[in-house]
Amino acid sequence: MLAPLVAKRTLTHDLFVLRLAAPTIASSVQPGQFVNILPRTGAIDPLLRRPFSVYQTGEGWIEVIIQIHGKGTEELSKALVGDSLDVIGPLGSPWKYNSGSFSTAILLVGGVGVASMPSLTQACESSNIPFETYYGARNERLFADEYLKRVHYATDDGSKGYRGSVIDLLRSDLRSVAYAHPKLFVCGPTPMMRAATTLAAEFDIPCEVSLETEMACGVGICQGCPVQTTAAELEKTGKKFHLVCTHGPSFEREQIVF
Amino acid sequence: MSVNEKSSKSATTVNLGIEIAGVRFANPIFVASGTFGYGSEAARFCDISGIGAIVTKSVSWNPRPGNFPRRIVETPSGMLNSIGLANVGVDAFVTEKLPYLAEFDTKIIANIAASSVGEYCSVLEKIEANATGNLVGYEINVSCPNVKDGGLSFGTNVGMVEEVVRALRPLTKKLLAIKLTPNVTSVAPFAQACEDCGADAISLINTVVGMSVDIRTKRPRLSTVTGGLSGPAIRPIAIAKVYEARKATKLPIIGIGGIATASDAMEFFIVGASAVQIGTMNFVHPDASIRVRDELTQLLTSQGCSSMKDVIGTLEVSGEMRSLGW
Ligand SMILES: Cc1cc2nc3c(=O)[nH]c(=O)nc-3n(C[C@H](O)[C@H](O)[C@H](O)COP(=O)(O)OP(=O)(O)OC[C@H]3O[C@@H](n4cnc5c(N)ncnc54)[C@H](O)[C@@H]3O)c2cc1C
Ligand SMILES: Cc1cc2nc3c(=O)[nH]c(=O)nc-3n(C[C@H](O)[C@H](O)[C@H](O)COP(=O)(O)O)c2cc1C
Ligand code: FES
Repeated sequence: MLAPLVAKRTLTHDLFVLRLAAPTIASSVQPGQFVNILPRTGAIDPLLRRPFSVYQTGEGWIEVIIQIHGKGTEELSKALVGDSLDVIGPLGSPWKYNSGSFSTAILLVGGVGVASMPSLTQACESSNIPFETYYGARNERLFADEYLKRVHYATDDGSKGYRGSVIDLLRSDLRSVAYAHPKLFVCGPTPMMRAATTLAAEFDIPCEVSLETEMACGVGICQGCPVQTTAAELEKTGKKFHLVCTHGPSFEREQIVF
Repeated sequence: MSVNEKSSKSATTVNLGIEIAGVRFANPIFVASGTFGYGSEAARFCDISGIGAIVTKSVSWNPRPGNFPRRIVETPSGMLNSIGLANVGVDAFVTEKLPYLAEFDTKIIANIAASSVGEYCSVLEKIEANATGNLVGYEINVSCPNVKDGGLSFGTNVGMVEEVVRALRPLTKKLLAIKLTPNVTSVAPFAQACEDCGADAISLINTVVGMSVDIRTKRPRLSTVTGGLSGPAIRPIAIAKVYEARKATKLPIIGIGGIATASDAMEFFIVGASAVQIGTMNFVHPDASIRVRDELTQLLTSQGCSSMKDVIGTLEVSGEMRSLGW
């Protein structure tokens, strides 16, 4: 589907936002889902679409935030207001925020992982789910917190909030603050997500992580985006791998090895 | 008659229909094995009934989980994959996938992969016994580069290909196409062997062995080190293999490799392919086959052609070119 670029803005020095007119996606997307954008117009290089979380939605539009990583995101950074981008979506399964037994949602964020958090924040608010957001970065200039609420900050250099890792901040809060039956919803760099699953195991609380893998199709055809399942999940489902594009991008920590 | 009158007249008369070994296909644009799943995944984005034929993902006797990640890497105008024939296995294929596909008004060709001649036979027999109305034939994958057992070792050995075709031929009256690999010096003896042993058609090409390295970590990008290259980057290789096979056999050829547009498909038809399959481009546009089909109608119209017969095998190679060994 062709989606006109209606606005473009810079969020932090390495993140920019594209607002695309995409009424069908805007009206059906759920928190945690993503879209697949073709980062070119005519030529065939780069060839494949690139996946991006839906960051924010409004009347007839969606926003994505993009960090320049390589060829495709570089190409997208050149898109101008008025250009049309070829977008497929919404894809993937939503965050599982309205199932399972928990009372407090803890949104744990790092880096560009912030992209899937505004929609989850709004879902928690409209479903009356109490929530807290923990957000870590190297320094305060890297925070993209415009749509977040109830944020506890941590920076490596102490320029905002707790000095040190956001995992350490959350660990100390889980010890001292009485969060009722918390569940972690995590999206960030892989080391942070690994640390989050360890933390969740330490406190024996549920934890869902949103993964990124290379994708060719984004719709469950190519089998190119697998993540290995745990022994328990293999036993339960008979599947040695789950596909990140359709089963995920988010998984309960007990489901997968990463 | 004005130009406009001529083109509007021919627009209504272009006939994309083709026939391969007695099977009629509404159009010559098929989707390639492994790039369209079992139909259901793309149904949301693509008018499945408009596809000439769906070649299903390779199915083996047992379900296969596939290789460890990383399984895909994008390369210039193409991609490398090392999926490892992840598939649901023949039982689920006949109980779940074929009945779903039977609901669409399109032809189905079941692609089979195996690691022994016996396994090829068992899978085919099982499908044959459960065939739905629109299952018109089989495509035998003797050429997957990404599995340790079977895979390329079949497709790169003429004797093995002969053995597979001879064993399968008596098991079905349906269309039997053999999908060959480009990873051989010359594809001609393989095409010839397929004809001699009773195959109805050959499909060319499967992916080309390729490799990509992360220069930062100095490690191969794919978990299996090498993988299969596909996409527009391989089209010239595919055209050359179809050209070579065309000279070696009278069997109908189904051309595959890097087709993104109707003009790409036309190159295959001109060289002698009766039909083509769209592979990797389905990942970019799940309705790529419909787009190419519609473009093809326009292209044929603009060239004043009324049927596929007007283009298939129309390559002109001059005497000097031939004498140079081409
Ligand atoms: C579900 C999901 C949601 C995402 N959401 C966002 C987001 O909101 N904002 C954002 O900036 N990034 C997001 N990403 C990561 C983003 O897709 C990659 O950074 C991007 O594909 C890199 O493309 P490139 O051409 O710039 O890099 P290249 O390195 O040139 O890409 C080469 C190939 O690898 C793939 N690739 C490389 N890195 C990744 C990666 N980390 N994840 C997935 N594919 C990758 C590309 O698709 C491409 O096929 C998301 C990824 C996934 C899977
Ligand atoms: C991800 C992927 C999976 C594939 N799986 C199969 C398969 O299961 N069986 C098969 O015969 N070919 C398989 N192929 C090969 C394609 O059917 C086709 O021959 C090849 O990709 C070349 O065409 P293309 O350049 O249009 O993609 C696969 C290709 C890709 C990219
Ligand atoms: S990206 Fe193709 S199956 Fe997930």
